[in-house]
Amino acid sequence: MRRKLTSIANGAVPLGFVVLLLVTWEYLVRWKAVQEWILPGPVLIARTLAGNLPLILKHTQTTLMECLAGFALAIVLSFILAFVMDEVPLLRRALYPLLIASQTVPIISVAPLFIIWFGYGIMPKIIVVILVCFFPIALSLLGGLAAVDREYLELFRSMKATRLDIFRMVKLPLALPSFFSGLKIAASYSVMGAIIGEWLGAKAGLGMYMTVAQRSFQVDRVFAAILTITALSAALFALVALIERLVIPWNRLTEWRDS
Amino acid sequence: MPKVVAEGIKKTLGGVLTLQEINIEVEEHAIVGILGPSGCGKSTLFNIIAGLMRPDQGNVYIEGAAVTGNAGLASYMRQKDLLLPNLNVLDNVSIPLVLKGMPKKKARLEAEQHLSTFGLQGFENYYPSQLSGGMRQRAALLRTYLYASGIWLLDEPFASLDAITKRKMHTWLIQVLGQFQPTVLFITHDVDEALYLCDKIYVLSECPTVVKLEVEVPFSRPHHSHTIVDPAYGPVRDTIMDALSI
Repeated sequence: MRRKLTSIANGAVPLGFVVLLLVTWEYLVRWKAVQEWILPGPVLIARTLAGNLPLILKHTQTTLMECLAGFALAIVLSFILAFVMDEVPLLRRALYPLLIASQTVPIISVAPLFIIWFGYGIMPKIIVVILVCFFPIALSLLGGLAAVDREYLELFRSMKATRLDIFRMVKLPLALPSFFSGLKIAASYSVMGAIIGEWLGAKAGLGMYMTVAQRSFQVDRVFAAILTITALSAALFALVALIERLVIPWNRLTEWRDS
Repeated sequence: MPKVVAEGIKKTLGGVLTLQEINIEVEEHAIVGILGPSGCGKSTLFNIIAGLMRPDQGNVYIEGAAVTGNAGLASYMRQKDLLLPNLNVLDNVSIPLVLKGMPKKKARLEAEQHLSTFGLQGFENYYPSQLSGGMRQRAALLRTYLYASGIWLLDEPFASLDAITKRKMHTWLIQVLGQFQPTVLFITHDVDEALYLCDKIYVLSECPTVVKLEVEVPFSRPHHSHTIVDPAYGPVRDTIMDALSI
C-alpha cells in the first residue's frame, strides 16, 4: 500500500511540473510578453492540432509507413549481417571498423543524394530510416551475440549440438535483451529519419507538412506537427517495449528478483 | 578394462605449459576425484577428456577406444548451472534429448519422470531465475544425466553453494549415484568433499601440472555423514594435505 502511494507520488511530481510549465507558457503568451506568431500558447497549439487533425493524420500515415518499412528492413539487414559476422570471425574483423566508421558520416548530409537518385517518393525516406535504425540494431545484436558466456557454447558442443542449434537455442535467446535495447533506440530514431527525408522534398508526410507550415510562418502548425512527431516516436517506442515484454517475459523475472 | 583413460596428456595454453603429463584411469561405476589448487588446469583436463579440446600429446580412451578430440561421449556439468534463462526447468533439462532428435513433447514426458528424483517436482514450469542455487544445480545434474552417456564429468558442481546446501547436495548425490551407477570424474578443491564422495582421488600439482598423488579412499561405499569419524579418515586426509602442501 505504502509502495503504491510512493509510486503515485513519484508520477505526480514530474506531471505537476509539466502542468506548471504549460500554465506559465500560456500565461506569458496571453500577457503579450511574446508575440503569438513567434510562440503560440499551448491552448492555441491544441486547437490547431484538433482543427487540422484529419490532414495531420493523413500525413502521419505516410510517415508511419516509411518508419515501419525502414524499421522492418533494418531489422532484417541487421540479422543477416550480425549472423554472418558472428559466424565468420574474419568477416567480423573486416566489417566491424567499417560499421563504426560509417556512423561518422552524418546521415542528413547524404540524404540529399537519395533524393537525386530515387526522387520524391517514399523510397529515399525509407532508405534514410534504414540507415538511422540499422546501426543501433546491428550493434546491439552483435554485442549480445558476442557476450554469450563461452561456457554455454562448450556445454552445448559437449552435447553434440550443431552450430545452427547453438545459434538458435543459445546465442539468439541470450542476445535478445541486448537486441531489444538497440531496437528501442532505433524505434524512436526511425521517426526522426523519416522526417529528415521528408524535409528534403516529399509529396506527403509530417516532415513535408512541417516545411509547408514553416514557409508560411504558421508556427502553431509547426508546433502541432512537432507534437504529433513526438507522440509517434513515443508510440513506436512503447510498441517495441510491449513486444519485448511478450517475447522475453523471463527477462523481467530477473529484474524482479534483483529489485 | 577401465572405462575412461587419459594417457600422457600434455597441453600448452597461451604459451604456458599447463598440463605437463597427466595419467588417469577410471574404472566403470567408480567415482574419481580430481583435487588440485586453482589454476592448475583441472578444467583444461576436463575439456580434453570431454573432447572439446585436443591435447598436444597423449590420448583419451573410453572403453578401450581412442576418442581424443571427439566431443559428445561424456556428460559435462560445470560450476555454473548454465541453464538457459529463457526456458523453464522442464525444457532446460530436456535439451539433451531434443538435441538427439527426440520430438519436444516426448522429451518433456521422458524428463518429467525424473523430476522427483532430482527434487524438482512441482517446479517444472519455473524459470531458472526463480529457483535457489541448489535447485539449479540439481536441474543441471538432471540435464547431465539425461544426456545418458554413462560418464559424468562434474567440474566443481557445488562450489558456488553455501556449506549447508552443499552438504545436503552431497547426501543427495550419493543416493543418485547409487541409483544410476554412472562412471564419475569429479573436480573439486575441497579435500573433505573429495573424501566424502570419491573412491579414488588424484591430487594434482601446481602448474605445470602433473599427478602428485593417487589415493584409494579406504572407506567402503555408501559413504555416510559419519565417515569423518572413521579412524582411517585422518591419515588419508593428512597424506592429501601434504601432497597439496597446505
